[in-house]
Amino acid sequence: MIAYILRRLLLWVPSVMLVMLGVYALAFYGAGDPIKLIFLRAPGDVAYDPVKIEAIREQAGLNEPFLVQFGTYLLNLVQGNFGNSLFSGRSVWAMISAAAPVSLLLGLMAMIVTALVAIPLGMIAGMNQNSRLDYTILGTAVTLWAIPAYVAGPLLMVMLLAILPKGAMPYGWGGLFSVKIILPLIVLSFQPIALIIRQTRAAVIDVMTEDFVRTARAKGVPERVVALRHILRPVLTPVVTQLGLIMITIVNGAIFVELVFGLPGLGRLTVQALINSDYPVILAVTLIGSFLVMASNLLVDILYPLLDPRATDPKASRV
Amino acid sequence: MSALLEIRGLTIDIERDTGPARVVDGIDLAVEEGESLGIVGESGCGKSLTMLSLVGLLPNRIRATGGSARFAGQDLLALPQEALRKLRGSQIGFIFQDPMTSLNPVMRVGEQIAEALIHQSGMAKPAAMERAAELLELVGIPSPRDRLMAYPHELSGGMRQRVMIAIGLAGSPRLLIADEPTTALDVTIQAQIVDLVRDLKDRFGMSVVWITHDLALIAGLADRIAVLYAGTVVEDAPVEVIFDRPTHPYTRGLLASLPTLTDRPMTRLPSIGGTPPEPGRRPPGCPFAPRCTLAEAACDAAVPKLAAVPGSDPRHRVACFVTAGEGGRA
Amino acid sequence: MTAGPIITPGDDRPGSLWRDAWRRLRRNRLAVAGLVILALLVLVAAFGPWLTPYDFLSQNLDARNLPPSMAHPFGTDDLGRDVLSRVIYGARTAFLVAVLVTAVALLIGVVLGAIAGFYGGAFDKGLMWVTDMTMSVPQLLLVVVINASLKQPITLWMEARYLETLNPIYRNSAIIDFVLVFGSMALISWPPYARLVRAQVLSIRNRPYVTAARALGLTNRIILTRYVLPNAAGPLIVAVSAGLGTAMVLESAFSFLGIGVNPPTPSWGNMISDGLRVWTNYPHLLLAPAAVLAVVTVAFNFLGDGLNDALNPKGQK
Repeated sequence: MIAYILRRLLLWVPSVMLVMLGVYALAFYGAGDPIKLIFLRAPGDVAYDPVKIEAIREQAGLNEPFLVQFGTYLLNLVQGNFGNSLFSGRSVWAMISAAAPVSLLLGLMAMIVTALVAIPLGMIAGMNQNSRLDYTILGTAVTLWAIPAYVAGPLLMVMLLAILPKGAMPYGWGGLFSVKIILPLIVLSFQPIALIIRQTRAAVIDVMTEDFVRTARAKGVPERVVALRHILRPVLTPVVTQLGLIMITIVNGAIFVELVFGLPGLGRLTVQALINSDYPVILAVTLIGSFLVMASNLLVDILYPLLDPRATDPKASRV
Repeated sequence: MSALLEIRGLTIDIERDTGPARVVDGIDLAVEEGESLGIVGESGCGKSLTMLSLVGLLPNRIRATGGSARFAGQDLLALPQEALRKLRGSQIGFIFQDPMTSLNPVMRVGEQIAEALIHQSGMAKPAAMERAAELLELVGIPSPRDRLMAYPHELSGGMRQRVMIAIGLAGSPRLLIADEPTTALDVTIQAQIVDLVRDLKDRFGMSVVWITHDLALIAGLADRIAVLYAGTVVEDAPVEVIFDRPTHPYTRGLLASLPTLTDRPMTRLPSIGGTPPEPGRRPPGCPFAPRCTLAEAACDAAVPKLAAVPGSDPRHRVACFVTAGEGGRA
Repeated sequence: MTAGPIITPGDDRPGSLWRDAWRRLRRNRLAVAGLVILALLVLVAAFGPWLTPYDFLSQNLDARNLPPSMAHPFGTDDLGRDVLSRVIYGARTAFLVAVLVTAVALLIGVVLGAIAGFYGGAFDKGLMWVTDMTMSVPQLLLVVVINASLKQPITLWMEARYLETLNPIYRNSAIIDFVLVFGSMALISWPPYARLVRAQVLSIRNRPYVTAARALGLTNRIILTRYVLPNAAGPLIVAVSAGLGTAMVLESAFSFLGIGVNPPTPSWGNMISDGLRVWTNYPHLLLAPAAVLAVVTVAFNFLGDGLNDALNPKGQK
């Protein structure tokens, strides 16, 4: 088991490095010279002095070859140094650590909500395939999947306007236990819920035709036990492998949800950085987002043999 | 002996978009207490569906639409789902065809056996596991206690089928239904499994219904054989009568296609030409008539009923206009 | 697996596959509804200028923020512009971007996928790495990075062209926006098509009849056009339908974030973003574009699901 995890890690680290390299290269060659950018932004009275710029460039290591700069960036990254914002001059690390808790809490809650809502609904739909109930659940899932967060959020708010006074609209961050979190949480969970309902339903339909489900019924175990032990267990395996995709949906969704509901998280930080062309921040949040997704994929790889004993060879599983 | 199970006029339909299609068309069958009955027929003749219908395990869109099936005094087809569930495992045990797919791949075999005990006889988990180990020993699995913790994929095909049998036996059923349990196994293992089931049957005095398409395999196991063709019983007789005096042309065809020791090498075995009718497309008369070399005009006009064969064993019944009268001759 | 339906030259009922698929699609009511909605939208987008009651730019400061009425079915915005006209023009923007992005992505995907499939080796490995990576970075962030990276060079290049030619087209910021948006979107949208075509090439290249035909001098180009593309057609149609929907959503997403199509060019995304600022007082400004976008994306999804069921029948998810 440990050997298996190590093997996975060995494959994983290079792909993370490669993604980082790709993203860094995009920012490096696309964004242009950060020092020049700072000067271009500066108020008019600062003189544009090529000699001075060249000195600063040299000092900042910007004349080094690309790979050396990438290496330096990585080294700093490991030490928690993401560089400074071009816009505010603040440390990117500080900006991120201020914003991250909001996004992480919201995302984590959305995952929990998704698991609690979507897996039962997907089970119900799959076990009643082609019934009216199934069509209702599936139709709802397709609709939720299709509507992006920046449309679902506003539409929900307009509907809420019918029952709530204007002043009572949820806006901003009040912590995990404030009622203000309800609406953003619902909107952020929509797409992952839709995704997992459909995955669960498809997996249930697959598993229902398996011979071992018939065996379980032939044993005379109650239908509840058949559903939970013989259908849900095997269904969880393909559903859990969707964790990476859920992570992508949540990271994408959080950007809009935070913007629509005024939450001070990583998503809003990204949008501000984008509007300000604040490359160090954009680079940092993109790396964090990709890292989260790739870490989810690694987690799935590690969890997989626990869910499906056939995944590792018999020798490895007896360690 | 009294009939433990008595099926009368059972019909099973597949619901299709175009309407129902009949797959089982009026089956009559009885199983005595302590008897072992072999059900023989080509795939698709309705032999498995007939048995699955008894305990409410028919797949989606397939339904028993008529007839009755009395088991120990009550009509199974009229029982509610919950009553059927209580019957499954405890009164009627099942062994299925492919032990690879019929065992849950993500559950240890010990739990799969114990589960039946826990939910049927209300045993506590440790006691159930203890009993599971005994059952594994009973079905001839070496070091049963270690095997409890194994997953199905860690066992060989023969071992898996033994586990399957242990599950079927767990509730000490009065009737064990074995649905082609050896088809997926090697030939040498097949014989072992047949012997095992015969031993267990004798030891516990259960009735056994063994479904197969392999007449030769169950010759040594069954007391009586029912031959099914296109959803009807065409011949039903004690095993020695079937082999000595096969009467229905289909049974004769099946027997003729078995190789024997006296065959000269390289002889071509006779086979039955044509294919069985598809569900929903059965001919108006005898379903076998289109393939039958002895068919007469009457065979296309009406469906022959299962009736006693004059001059043969009193339990010998056949559904054929042409050969029923010649029962004395082989 | 996405192995599509097989059409070989020996198929005795040519075209029956498509007829069957069409019949299956027609039976799916939701898919038909999606198709009708999208067809209507295409018509509206195509004939927009003749349909709109007002010019989408014409302001009427005496009629600002009007609620829906007979004269303005969706009301007017803060500059007194007719919201219905702007929604209709938004449909043009959305369709134009979606079609261009999908066409470019499809072209890149088919070419790269075919090369990787036919020649294998390092190119194939490299391509698979790139698609893997592209798919493991959250799409939106990737577009954001690409967009940010492209902005500088494209703006500089346009500026240089302008100084060279003095052609005002190079000063048109709407064009820059447009090129940026659909360029970066196309750059992230091609991997699924490439994988699909590659898989088809790999499965077909080794079929005995293709090997036999190669021995007779069949070229890769003929294998691609006569065997691979017809076989991949079903899955590709499904992918394109999904891709059009995704591209439309992405365009509105960027415009919503303020990095896509910028005002005054109407896009549903920037209309939603504008509406969000004043929605408590004038909910119709938010409702109109949001509802239209929701209906269109749902229509795309129902159609895509229907196409998937119709073209990849049973057992091929």
